[in-house]
Amino acid sequence: MTSPLETHPVWQLGPVPLSMPVLVTWGLMLVLAGGSWLLTRRLALRPGRAQAAMELVVEAVEQQIRETMRVEPRPYLALIGTFFLFVLTANWSSLIPGIEPPTASIETDAALALIVFVAVILYGLRVRGWRGYLGSFLYPNIIMLPLNLIENFTRTFALMVRLFGNVMSGVFVIGIVLSLVGFLVPVPLMALELLTGAVQAYIFSVLAMVFIGGAVEGEGGNARERKDA
Amino acid sequence: MHIDWWTLGLQTINVLILVWLLRHFFFQPIKAVIEARRAAAARITEEAEALRTAAKAELAALEARRRDFTAEGEKILAEAHAQASAERGAMLDQARAEAGRIVAEAREVLGREREAQRRTLEAQAAELALAMARRLLDLLPPRQVTAAFLEGLAAEMERLSDAARNDLATAGAITIATATPLPSELQAEWRDRLAQLLGAGPRLAFQHEPALIAGVELRGPHTLLRRNWRADLERLARALPLTPQVHDVQQLA
Repeated sequence: MTSPLETHPVWQLGPVPLSMPVLVTWGLMLVLAGGSWLLTRRLALRPGRAQAAMELVVEAVEQQIRETMRVEPRPYLALIGTFFLFVLTANWSSLIPGIEPPTASIETDAALALIVFVAVILYGLRVRGWRGYLGSFLYPNIIMLPLNLIENFTRTFALMVRLFGNVMSGVFVIGIVLSLVGFLVPVPLMALELLTGAVQAYIFSVLAMVFIGGAVEGEGGNARERKDA
Repeated sequence: MHIDWWTLGLQTINVLILVWLLRHFFFQPIKAVIEARRAAAARITEEAEALRTAAKAELAALEARRRDFTAEGEKILAEAHAQASAERGAMLDQARAEAGRIVAEAREVLGREREAQRRTLEAQAAELALAMARRLLDLLPPRQVTAAFLEGLAAEMERLSDAARNDLATAGAITIATATPLPSELQAEWRDRLAQLLGAGPRLAFQHEPALIAGVELRGPHTLLRRNWRADLERLARALPLTPQVHDVQQLA
């Protein structure tokens, strides 16, 4: 058994080493994008079951953004929705024999956390401007500036580690049990891993919303709550 | 722990590309169809609202038309009542006029019948009186009756003025009509008597006229002396208020 904390290249594309998480991610991208293209080719005002399910997902994500960030969800829908769908499908890809979920590698989780980190800054600057966004680090007073700066990094790091730890541990445990007791015993653990994967996708998306919402909170209801406080 | 920076970079790019792909092929089409459905629902709602408004307006218009119809119906009914009343009044007036005309005609007919009846009764009465007079005359000798009337005629001639007697004597022939034929000796006697009364002997002619009933009548060119019952009856008829006409009496006679 290889260490779950290390990623090894499985293919070399010129100078670029391609690891298994990258290849699986490409496969997931193909499935997600291709499936989306196939399913959204013939959308109708009277939806079928597949269209209704897709609309349900989109509406649920929008509703979650609206409730969590207290803003109009349209600008954040693609990013948050992609986080949720990608993390969910990545976590559930472990059901395919021989496939290790990309989210079980620290690089993938770091990439996601890095995108969230950058998105927080970009959305904060776009919505509140330089002064408004940088001024948010002084809240509630200037003494909190170091803590707020450190918090930006630590929460991103925690976001990465949380997802990595949960998914990797599940994969690791299933691998150990499978190597020890045989073929069917890990099945309940795999079912539990399904639930864990969905919960982790939800948690990652909600935390991304919370972080981005904290950066743009002058736009919506959080600002009012702040004034009331 | 080892971080593969190539993997980190590729996964970052992969996720960003996936964000773009899903935005383009999933979220935007789904949002577009949701918005289109909402727009269609809003349009349908607006159309339904417009239809409801139009239906309300149509209902109000129908209600107004119904009220107009009711008012028009009441107006027509009132006009029909007025026309019927006018026609009834006209018919009543016409009926009254017709009844009045019928009553007038009936009265006229009744008056004519009453008049005719009265005339008939008067004629019958005159006929009865004439019959009774004839019966009474039949009780007397005709010669003496005629002589009495002649005496009365002579007395009347004596009461004439001289000028009237002279005119009677000279104007022309004198006719003496009697109700009964006058015997020749009596005619001679009266020729002498008139010659004495009038002076010169006038030209006399005697004439028998039963229409005189009883008595005599002297007719000159300008003089008429009547001493007979026909003249008396004519005088009575003129004196009475419901006197029959002379010609009726003549006819009855």
